[in-house]
Amino acid sequence: MRGLYTVFRFELTGMLKSKAFKVSTIVVCLMLIIGLSIPSIINVFSSKENDIFGEGTVGEEAQQAYGYINKNNAVPNIEDLKSSFTLGRLIEFNSEEKLKESILSGEIEAGFIIESPTEYKYMVKNNEMIDSKVSFFREALAKAYRIYELGEMGISYPDVEHIIYPNIQQDTVILGKDSARNYIYTYILIFIIYFVIVVYGQMIATSVASEKSNRAMELLITSTDSSNLIFGKVLGTALAGAIQVGIVLIVTMISYRLNAGSWGNRLDFIFDIPLDVILIFSVFGILGYVFYAFIFGALGALVSRTEDVSSSATSITIIFVAVFLMSFYSMYNIESILLKVLSFVPFSSFIAMFIRVSMGTVHIVEVLVSLVILVLSTILVGMFASRIYRLGTLMYGNPVKLSRAIRLMREK
Amino acid sequence: MKIELRDIYKSFSEKEVLHGISFSVETGKALGLLGRNGAGKTTTIRIIMGLFNADSGEILLDGRKFRPKDHKIGYLPEERGLYPKKKVLEQLVYLGQLRGFTRKEAKESALYWLERLGVEEYKNSRLETLSKGNQQKVQIAQTFLCDPDIVILDEPFSGLDPVNAQILKDIIRELIGKNKLLIFSSHQMGYVEEFCEEIALIDKGKIVLTGNLRNIKREYGMNRLAISSASIPLEDLRNILNNSLSHIIRVVEKKKNFLVIELINNNTKDELLKALSDLELDIERFTVYEPTLEDIFVMKVGES
Repeated sequence: MRGLYTVFRFELTGMLKSKAFKVSTIVVCLMLIIGLSIPSIINVFSSKENDIFGEGTVGEEAQQAYGYINKNNAVPNIEDLKSSFTLGRLIEFNSEEKLKESILSGEIEAGFIIESPTEYKYMVKNNEMIDSKVSFFREALAKAYRIYELGEMGISYPDVEHIIYPNIQQDTVILGKDSARNYIYTYILIFIIYFVIVVYGQMIATSVASEKSNRAMELLITSTDSSNLIFGKVLGTALAGAIQVGIVLIVTMISYRLNAGSWGNRLDFIFDIPLDVILIFSVFGILGYVFYAFIFGALGALVSRTEDVSSSATSITIIFVAVFLMSFYSMYNIESILLKVLSFVPFSSFIAMFIRVSMGTVHIVEVLVSLVILVLSTILVGMFASRIYRLGTLMYGNPVKLSRAIRLMREK
Repeated sequence: MKIELRDIYKSFSEKEVLHGISFSVETGKALGLLGRNGAGKTTTIRIIMGLFNADSGEILLDGRKFRPKDHKIGYLPEERGLYPKKKVLEQLVYLGQLRGFTRKEAKESALYWLERLGVEEYKNSRLETLSKGNQQKVQIAQTFLCDPDIVILDEPFSGLDPVNAQILKDIIRELIGKNKLLIFSSHQMGYVEEFCEEIALIDKGKIVLTGNLRNIKREYGMNRLAISSASIPLEDLRNILNNSLSHIIRVVEKKKNFLVIELINNNTKDELLKALSDLELDIERFTVYEPTLEDIFVMKVGES
């Protein structure tokens, strides 16, 4: 145990003291702090406080002017048309020539020549691929037509409008969890697990391979048990990763809380993560991470040079990415059989079970069964990795395939 | 304390590299493990250290199964290497702790050895920034870190300059004086002759010669004598001996300052002495010839 602790401590302090760790943590934290403080920073320089999001204000486009010609007074109730056109101001022109000139000079955005109550010509300088101006005018013209024609029949338009577009109220009572609401933070958290495993997994594999390439391995393995070495390394690096994620999450939370006012509490739904979700995220995330870390460590022991690490780790990376993508796409259908199966397989349960807990309702027994499977598999993988590690440590030369290593292990 | 290797066999990928290695070594008597490159020295040492398992055979310590992890062993592997990017003291303390020292003990010992080897000024430098010679010294420091009872040095002098070699020689002498059990492999005969009372000569995975070095030398020099004259040049002396005493001796070879001769036909030294005095050759040297280890080495494995 003492040997394990010594290796664990050496690896952990080595990671925490490394420049790469410090720099990446500081850079990510600074980016988050700055990103989350942007509204507050803007407020300092802006006189109108709650204006950043443009809520209820008159946008730039509203100031823009559009021209129209009401040929032969085709639309008698032109004021209704003007008030229904919400995109900008409508200015009347007398001749097509003048309208054209104004459009070309950029004085007005576009022009509409009304031929009849249901027919018009649209005049614009450069036709954009998607031009929303037309639909605004169409709608306004149609509304003016309805108002006029209904008026002619002696019917009040607002009355009809109430009937055609009734104001239906909906109340949703969610008995389980609201997938739509939890989607964002679940998404962010599984991405965190994904990146931590990919980055730290590679780091562990490289660290083992470098101990082989710089020949420190022979001294290490004669100084303590190989299982101490790999368990200490994996657990030490795992804790370093957890510390980094922890720091980033805490900094993010604090930054948001300090700036929540400036954000108008708009991001609360991302940051109000329920405690049980955080707990499941931590437990499953760390176990899944350790599970993969052992595999990466064993694969690192099968190569002699750090350059060969990525090729050696290809197979497990492919499995990992496949598992991640399958779980990820199951987020849209959290009751699917696929996600249920994935939530018990140790290669994927740390993501899949987390998604199920975070976005749906899972019975505690299911969570515990999945947890037990993951814990046992992690221990087994650890023991397996320790043997591969011991076997690989003194095999120099060409990278050894995992299948060959297993065969050699059996022979012994 | 006595370590005994009995009939060790080892194969790699179905190729047998050790074919029944047996030798023993006791405390206070250094054993020199000799052999050409690829003879099997490092594999034998790695089996002693428990890095490889032997296919068959056993290693005993005072008659009981030897478990390297139960003992304090100072090991200098042939493949030198530590963490290039870590600080010198930091990694020595780490290794000391792995071998059972507390942090404090490991630090004290590391500082002692760094000072003794004259590299304490680099204790807070990263290993890769040190010169090659100083990196070697750090390697040596790690070997003796835990006050080992058993010391196993694989090619300890390779890559050392004469000054560093002298420092290591002094340490080795001290260890022998302190009754430590010492095994060291080398193909540099001079060093082995300097320290080792016992030798084991490996050739192609087999022990071809083992035992007390003095006895071996005597045995190999049994019928051989060294002879020279104060007034007659060696070449002339060789002719005289060949012409006049060919029934008693054979001239084996001419060394720098003497001739090596061998008694033949069961003649004794006395009979030779009498014959020589009759020839009035102004004899300057007449001693039993002790072959150098190199002679024995070449004799045993040179031809193959």
